[in-house]
Amino acid sequence: MIHFENVGMRYGMGSEVLKDISFNLKPGSLHFLTGSSGAGKTSLLKLMYLAHRPSRGKITMFREDVENAARRDLPRLRRRIGVVFQDFRLLDHLTAVENVALPLWLSGGKGTEIEQHVEELLAWVGLKDRMKSRPPVLSGGEKQRVAIARAVIKRPDLLLADEPTGNVDPAIAKRIMHLFVELNKLGTTTVIATHDMEMVKRAGAARMHLHKGRLHLLDPGDSDFREEETEAGEFGGIRLDQKEYGPKIYGPKIYGANENEEGGGV
Amino acid sequence: MIARVNFLPDERSHEATRLLPYVMAVMVYLSALALMGSMVLHRSFSEWTEALSNRLTIQITTPDPALREAETADVTRLLQQTPGIDFIHRLNKVEIENLLEPWLGEGNVTSDLPLPVMIDVTVSRTMAVNLDALRGMMAGISENIHLDDHQQWLGRFVKLMDAVEYTALGVLSLVVMATVCIVIFGTKAGMAENRETISIMHHLGAEDSMIARAFQRRFMRYGLKGGAIGLVLAFITLVSLMSLSRAMMAGLVRLPDMPVAEGAVLLVIPLLAALLCMVTARITVMRGLNRMV
Repeated sequence: MIHFENVGMRYGMGSEVLKDISFNLKPGSLHFLTGSSGAGKTSLLKLMYLAHRPSRGKITMFREDVENAARRDLPRLRRRIGVVFQDFRLLDHLTAVENVALPLWLSGGKGTEIEQHVEELLAWVGLKDRMKSRPPVLSGGEKQRVAIARAVIKRPDLLLADEPTGNVDPAIAKRIMHLFVELNKLGTTTVIATHDMEMVKRAGAARMHLHKGRLHLLDPGDSDFREEETEAGEFGGIRLDQKEYGPKIYGPKIYGANENEEGGGV
Repeated sequence: MIARVNFLPDERSHEATRLLPYVMAVMVYLSALALMGSMVLHRSFSEWTEALSNRLTIQITTPDPALREAETADVTRLLQQTPGIDFIHRLNKVEIENLLEPWLGEGNVTSDLPLPVMIDVTVSRTMAVNLDALRGMMAGISENIHLDDHQQWLGRFVKLMDAVEYTALGVLSLVVMATVCIVIFGTKAGMAENRETISIMHHLGAEDSMIARAFQRRFMRYGLKGGAIGLVLAFITLVSLMSLSRAMMAGLVRLPDMPVAEGAVLLVIPLLAALLCMVTARITVMRGLNRMV
């Protein structure tokens, strides 16, 4: 599904913010992406949602090499990816319904069909009364739910979420995680970047940990993971399968890592 | 029902480009004036040259009235015998006074003013007249007989006509170039203003052509709106100028009517302006997007 091999990334002429990233995400897998601020989580997500080119290495997504893919091929690949941005990135002049409808509209969906799907989903995330509202009048949590609805409306093959529960209350967070897990069960490969270690522990899914631009892949049974783990992976009423694996660290050891994680997207 | 989502913000909130229709109006106004001015002058020049191209004017300036009349009779006879002469008309005193009045003023043509005999000759368009031979035969009658075929004046006139038309074409080209530059600038400003929107649309999987279409539609509307405003203003200006010049030039030069059929071409200008805006915006957006990831 997603294969990174010795991938490096830099912004402009700066030093590398991601170094020798190698991993393989199987179809239908669920992963958490953790790491402190500046570790490179957003940069890694940018590579995964094709907003940035790697400075080196090889990336294969949906069985296509994308590191040097032609621009004309990117939209087709991007339409298979749902992204929940940390800063929501909603279009302020569109209503919640229109924002969520965008991916369906871009895929050539029919008006009535789009509207029905969008309204159902918005009602499900608790925004039934805010459908015609525009982002500037929505609260942070409401915006986040609109952003999530937009990311999942088309049931993407790959769902990337950057701090998706950062601005919502625990009840809504649980509901959102339930949605992600349900989508994952339906076959959507899911990567959730988060600082919320409690959520990671509860979900008990595999974890991709970034530290100073280098990636460590950890399974739920990994030693350092187990140290932080509390209860087995029940989340939002969904119990995730857990397997015991020995610790795995992908990529070389951490040397002189760069703390920078700034720069433009497109 | 969500038929189509207009992902670009409303035009009124576009600080960078909302004045563009008015700039387009000025451009179309200048283009229409240049084009219409050129057409009116072209028609005027054509009518004047057409009117003179098969006409000869013969003046007999002999001071002695009796001799002048005798020479007039000889010249008339000679013209009647010359093949290719269709029509001979000797201007009477009133007609000559009418010709002089605009220059000398009404009532200033007094009876003691010596007036030459003037003969207006219309030459056949199908048969050539040997003017040199005719001129030679008239010189044999009297040295006071002057044959004017207007060619010298017409030659200068044609040069002036060409110069005016090339100038109008030059003005039109400059206006088109300026318009293209303004649209490029406006499109780039619009793209910069909507950079975040474009970026989001890209992440959602929008193709460049889809984004370009949104911009080109918007700039097409700017072109149409500006074109319509400019054309109306140009029409008002032209009608006013024609009326004014007709009043001022009355009697001196016959001004042609507004060329209606050719003038209909002006209606195409807003469409051309819209097309120019649309194509320029599309090329600019596609090139701009191509520099993104």
